[in-house]
Amino acid sequence: MKIDVNGNAAFASTGGRAFDPKAEAVMFIHGSGQSHLSFILQSRFFANRGYAVLSPDMPAHGLSDGDPLTSIEAQADWHADLMAAAGVEKAHVVGHSQGGLIGLELARRHGDKVRSLSFVATALAIPVNDALIDMAKNKEARAIDMMTDWGHGRQGHMHDNTTPGNTHLYFGRELMAANETGALHADLVACNEYKDGAVAAAGVTCPAHVTLGEKDRMTPMKFGLKLAEAVGCTHPTLVQGAGHMLPSEHPIEVNAAVRKFIEANP
Amino acid sequence: MTGDYKFNTLGLHAGHVPDERHGSRAVPIHQTTSYVFQDSEHAAALYNLELGGHLYSRISNPTVAVLEQRVAALEGGVGACATSSGMAALFVTVLALCSAGDHIVSSSKMYGANINLFEHTLKRYGIETTFVAPNDLKGFKKAIQPNTKMLFGEIIGNPTLDIMDLPAVAKIAKAANVPVVIDATFNTPFLFKPLENGANIVIHSLTKWMGGHGVAIGGIVVDGGNFDWGDAEKFPMISGPHFGFQAVNLWEEFGPAAFITRVRTEGMYNIGPSLSPTNAFHLIQGLETLGLRMERHVANTAKMLEFLKNHDAINWVSHPTLPDHPDYEVAKRLLPKGAGSIIACGVKGGRKGGQVFIESVEVASHLANVGDAKTLVIHPASTTHSHITEAAMKAGGLTDDMLRISVGLEDIDDLTADFDQALKKAMRAAG
Repeated sequence: MKIDVNGNAAFASTGGRAFDPKAEAVMFIHGSGQSHLSFILQSRFFANRGYAVLSPDMPAHGLSDGDPLTSIEAQADWHADLMAAAGVEKAHVVGHSQGGLIGLELARRHGDKVRSLSFVATALAIPVNDALIDMAKNKEARAIDMMTDWGHGRQGHMHDNTTPGNTHLYFGRELMAANETGALHADLVACNEYKDGAVAAAGVTCPAHVTLGEKDRMTPMKFGLKLAEAVGCTHPTLVQGAGHMLPSEHPIEVNAAVRKFIEANP
Repeated sequence: MTGDYKFNTLGLHAGHVPDERHGSRAVPIHQTTSYVFQDSEHAAALYNLELGGHLYSRISNPTVAVLEQRVAALEGGVGACATSSGMAALFVTVLALCSAGDHIVSSSKMYGANINLFEHTLKRYGIETTFVAPNDLKGFKKAIQPNTKMLFGEIIGNPTLDIMDLPAVAKIAKAANVPVVIDATFNTPFLFKPLENGANIVIHSLTKWMGGHGVAIGGIVVDGGNFDWGDAEKFPMISGPHFGFQAVNLWEEFGPAAFITRVRTEGMYNIGPSLSPTNAFHLIQGLETLGLRMERHVANTAKMLEFLKNHDAINWVSHPTLPDHPDYEVAKRLLPKGAGSIIACGVKGGRKGGQVFIESVEVASHLANVGDAKTLVIHPASTTHSHITEAAMKAGGLTDDMLRISVGLEDIDDLTADFDQALKKAMRAAG
């Protein structure tokens, strides 16, 4: 559905089901250069179980208008504004990668809107090297190739997919290429400049859960485990052999972990 | 792994990771119609497309899925859907894009069944087609109408071997917001990848070079995921409500995979031209050696061209790698690894000479197929086109003396020796 957020049309998938803002809400926050399409199998899964699903595209991503937001703080505020515009008072927040940082900051700045936090393949900080930031600015297609390559694990590279006939690697590439030019660069800069993860995590008061990929090369598991410790998640879900693109490559494990956590923390 | 795997590695491995329970290295044949649900919730999840998996083999099957993912990987597409034949692949593609009142722009020089589908069958359902010569760029531009829903062509035209200048044609289509659908059967992704050159959808008859063994009929549709279907008025089947499937908007829900999701949830679900698991298995065996075979096809074709050009019984030889071919320059630019293994040539003695040649070959096989590992020959005037008028043959670029040769993988000396004895008999018969 399209919602006006601060004067720009924003798109949010509702998982293919009618959106009821009064139902228990789950909001998915995508990662750098991604869109709501990172969460196809999550948004549909939760929408079909009666949740009000909001899986938005940040400005300049996917089907949303507007200029890209350039800091994690601004992105967190935008998600709070989106919730207000959609009539959602409080939501379970699920953040993937950069979306995890945004989730942390959303909880710090708008704690009353966050019912629980689910972190998927993320960390307290996501430093990005200068070469990739520069590439995203000047050779975006090459940066997309590199990130798609590094983001996917064995399943992706072998084009093995639980959805019959589809390939993760090339889908991921086209998903990123469909965003507005400059969106990826803004995201990477925002990630790189965000240093408040530990402070934000220390202030988290809502229930939190962390799901990590054992072979994640973008946010390595050891950093994800530090996040788990910081937010009080004593039993993180570790997916053996998985890379960074957990929601698409390992939807069954991610959905099961997030569902179990959300159902335990209504 | 860093970087994409390369062509031959993908041909051998893409789409299949051995399962933990049995560890079968070869892709298993899942010869089953249906799949046991874990519980009601699992069944509903599969129907709702919130969970990957298989419901019923008309819609998808684990063996067929390996084939689909392997071809998608070789073409660089986001997904693929295999069908019972190449013609079925074309039909489900049209079905996903066009309704009554819509229009197609198509190359005029291509496989006869493709032309028949557009010219006769689709017309009965209110879908009109304008045919344009494959390199008439102005003609393509002029033919596109507001209701044009696809532009269709073959890279290497069958049987006349015209080469479509895809990057130039795709530029015209993109400016008009029309998706380009390419039948890539004659080039295979080894020689040319349409999706990297402006196409949006690729179809194949897998029966030909992709399988290569001549034991299984099959087709496939590959979605490039690179077309913006956001114009809901123009593409209501992709970005409007999918009434057969919870009225979902496929473009919003599945993004780059919207088109292929439509193919599977309508073409396979409602029409059902599914590929059998056993045929998928056979076709997978072929794909494993596609790169090696295409190298040999191309090498043998070059040697056969040299032989034919210098043979007294041959009037003319046509192949896009020959400098006198009208599309030589386009072929040189787009097909540097080779322009396929089909040769057209004219035999002395016209219709009689052609007939004698065809009936005299001993290694080559006289039949109506192409792309087999074995060399195949046909004389259209005395066989496939014997019922067609001379005028119609001329319009299709066919002549009485024309032979179509699909060069196989045999030792080339055996092939040229076989052709030599058959051509000599043809020449003697012609007097």
